[in-house]
Amino acid sequence: MSRFPQGGPQTVRILKELSKRSLDAKKLAYCDECGACTGSCPVVRIFPRHFNPRVFFNKLFLEFANVSTETDLWLCMMCYRCHSRCPHGLKLPEIFLSLREMVIEQGYLQDVPSKLQEILEILREEIPLSLVYTWLCLRPGEEEPKRDKFDTAILDALQRHIMDYKRKEVAPSPKTTKDKIAIIGSGPAGLTAAWELVRRGFIVTVFEALSEPGGMLRVGIPEYRLPKEVLDAEIEHIKDLGVEIRTNTAIGKALLFNDLLGEERYTAIFIATGAHRSRKLRIEGEDMEGVVHALGLLRQVNLHKQPRLGEKVGIVGGGNTAMDAARTAQRLGAKKVNILYRRSREEMPANPLEVEEAERSGVEIHFLLTPRKILGKNKQVVGAECIRMKLGSPDESGRRRPIPIEGSEFTIELDTAIIAIGESPDTSFLPNEIKVTEWNTIEVDPITLETSLPGVFAGGDVVSGPASVVEAIDAGKRAAISINRYLNGARVKFP
Amino acid sequence: MKESGSVLVIGGGVAGIQAALDLADRGFRVYLVEETPSIGGRMAQLDKTFPTLDCSICILAPKMIECYRHPNITLLTYSEVEKVRGSAGNFTVEITRKPRFVDEAKCTGCGTCSQKCPIIVPNEFDMLLGDRKAIYMPLPQAVPRVTTIDKDSCLYFTRSVCKICQKLCQAEAVDFDQKPEKINLNVSAIIVATGFSLLNPSVINEYGYGRYKNVITSLELERLANASGPTGGHVTRPSDGKIPDKVAFIQCVGSRGLGRGVSYCSSACCMYATKEAILIKEHKPKSEVFIFYLDLRASGKGFQEFINRAKENWGVLYIRGRPGEIIEDPTTKDLIIFCEHTVRGEVRRLEVDMVVLCPAFIPRESNNKLSEKLRVKLDEYGFFKAEDASLVPVDSNIPGIFTCGCCQGPKDIPESVAQASGAAARAVEVITLTARREG
Repeated sequence: MSRFPQGGPQTVRILKELSKRSLDAKKLAYCDECGACTGSCPVVRIFPRHFNPRVFFNKLFLEFANVSTETDLWLCMMCYRCHSRCPHGLKLPEIFLSLREMVIEQGYLQDVPSKLQEILEILREEIPLSLVYTWLCLRPGEEEPKRDKFDTAILDALQRHIMDYKRKEVAPSPKTTKDKIAIIGSGPAGLTAAWELVRRGFIVTVFEALSEPGGMLRVGIPEYRLPKEVLDAEIEHIKDLGVEIRTNTAIGKALLFNDLLGEERYTAIFIATGAHRSRKLRIEGEDMEGVVHALGLLRQVNLHKQPRLGEKVGIVGGGNTAMDAARTAQRLGAKKVNILYRRSREEMPANPLEVEEAERSGVEIHFLLTPRKILGKNKQVVGAECIRMKLGSPDESGRRRPIPIEGSEFTIELDTAIIAIGESPDTSFLPNEIKVTEWNTIEVDPITLETSLPGVFAGGDVVSGPASVVEAIDAGKRAAISINRYLNGARVKFP
Repeated sequence: MKESGSVLVIGGGVAGIQAALDLADRGFRVYLVEETPSIGGRMAQLDKTFPTLDCSICILAPKMIECYRHPNITLLTYSEVEKVRGSAGNFTVEITRKPRFVDEAKCTGCGTCSQKCPIIVPNEFDMLLGDRKAIYMPLPQAVPRVTTIDKDSCLYFTRSVCKICQKLCQAEAVDFDQKPEKINLNVSAIIVATGFSLLNPSVINEYGYGRYKNVITSLELERLANASGPTGGHVTRPSDGKIPDKVAFIQCVGSRGLGRGVSYCSSACCMYATKEAILIKEHKPKSEVFIFYLDLRASGKGFQEFINRAKENWGVLYIRGRPGEIIEDPTTKDLIIFCEHTVRGEVRRLEVDMVVLCPAFIPRESNNKLSEKLRVKLDEYGFFKAEDASLVPVDSNIPGIFTCGCCQGPKDIPESVAQASGAAARAVEVITLTARREG
């Protein structure tokens, strides 16, 4: 199929403009339309009728004007899974982003609120977190100064929808069965499953260890990326439907896991506790004052505490959490924020968009180095001894393995060191019947999400390791389908 | 017929064999150097060839044996080229014969040693799916038909015990004291035919090769389908030995990408996947076979007709699209493929028993070293570079050194053989020209 623009002169002009904004748009010409993007996309799995990136980008070449009104444009959630599957490594999310800006700035889309209304209606049919979804997906107002027309249009429209949403009254869903379902964790996976199940007439209780529900949406994502007001409105609606959310109830502490099935008489359990445990660097000086874990920092800020950071902050790691921690540190008053990453930019697990935004806001990223030792005076961090790295042959993750260059050690000055080298799930509260992998994630049937203990299901980060919000939502939906089948006595296999 | 002049052929696959036979038949002396214990190469590993569905080894073995028996060919198996000096018409080559610890002249190939050897290791020839002994014949049709001791696993070499093979050998061929032997040759021309490697598909990690037992490569399937292979010709799943009902092939695994893998087309996969699909259908007519393709590149004589036959007569299902992800059911080890049927624009979930990946053809790792020794240029991917790919496709940048077959890029068998004959003809030119100049 020829990839020359096949539309009129307007399409040609638009495609030129698009390739100026996004370098990857130029590479679209090499696309073979293999469909690996669509085949791997979690959004496609939730909204198969409304989203198909391959078809969308094909249409782009045919006639741009038709594309500007397609709903596909507004559903990509920027998880970058397609980018990792694409044989050409196209960054489709960035092309989506540029297109959205262009559509609004150049006036192809006049009525933003009604378009958003349309999108929200599509979302509400399938998921409970429609506003959170649109907010994370459209990313309004993250940058200062505002991206003018785009941000204003989107923000105005979204604010209006939030007001409408808050005003809307929800009638509790009628209970049609006596089956009680326990959901452990109130993150995106847990909330989605709760919403799906309560609408099917089950009695649903969500257990949350922290003082406020929302999981990573609450404590992992900084306020500037997702206003808590949006999340609150949505959780309120889920509660109104009849879901009971018990906060400050950690399973394993306040209540034992086995009691859920025993005394409490829950007939099915969905474990969606996420991945909240920060990995340790395992180097000297890690227990000193001034060494903090990125997730801990984000959690404190999100739960309205004001942690004190020094002026010179160093962040170890190259994932999205590292980027969020860096920008949060800036907001907390750090003068100089440096990210230390042991591989090169290519291997960075962080979303390229986040990296770009962090750099634009003044965060400096240093590649190919890692701390060897954290230096301190009177138990207080004063610096770190770092070593330079080079890249060796690829490891099992397919990324090139970093190898330290002996003799290249040097020291840097630091007041605070933030560790962001990854998160893993905490599965210590689980009974032995539930099989756990060597990475501390729960082993489940990949389709039904059932664990090795019948009636107990698991999904989200606790199964996959740290992943994106949309993948958690997908897991929540799939778990709800399986639990419904399980409780109705149908075959759980292959829903 | 005997003519003055000799040629060194590096690589004993089908291209090397063809070039050697062409030259030897014209009366020139040929030294055929092969790195492994037997000639045959990749083609010997295949079950059938396309588009005629001939038994691969049945058409190759006569040529292998002819190489062995030809008075003008000296077979130097288990040998490596060390140094090359000189120029067209007068190359001095140093070759090391690795010790196989079995006297080639005495061994009768009876196989008693292999039967009694206590050490079992995975067989490289069977893509590690089957087993061999520490003293082994790499394939049943091995040429020369002698056994070789694998020093790394032999009990005598690792723990200085055993020597059972030596005691049992009636021909007294086993010789643990064999040393590497250096041979110096003087040749007029050199033909490089070292072949290719396959990309390890675990880099495309969403397909789970290495993690999921029932995801195999096409070459592994060839061995499974072959009657002399590890399963005796039954195409079975590695996880439980069950004969699969549903098999999916995935094309372009690591090929045709600007991101991961390589950017070129591996050229033979469309056809061999079709052939392997027919093989599976032949073994079990009721099975369902899917081929996930991007473009069907059937550019050869009778190739399109072959694909048409696969569709019409065998009912092979072609789906246009590259799967996004494969997941494994941990209990049944069945595989679930997430894909888009791009012609219909449908997102699908396809459950199959076995997945066969068609990985990219990549240059051999040893190409770098060999090209340095020969002073021959490699292209950007690491294949041997033709000086003028369109007009003299087998000439390298050094006069008197020619390349043919998959060492200069992905090819199918007919093309490799044609190039080999071409390289042989070009070598003859060099010999006659230099002879005339000197005479």
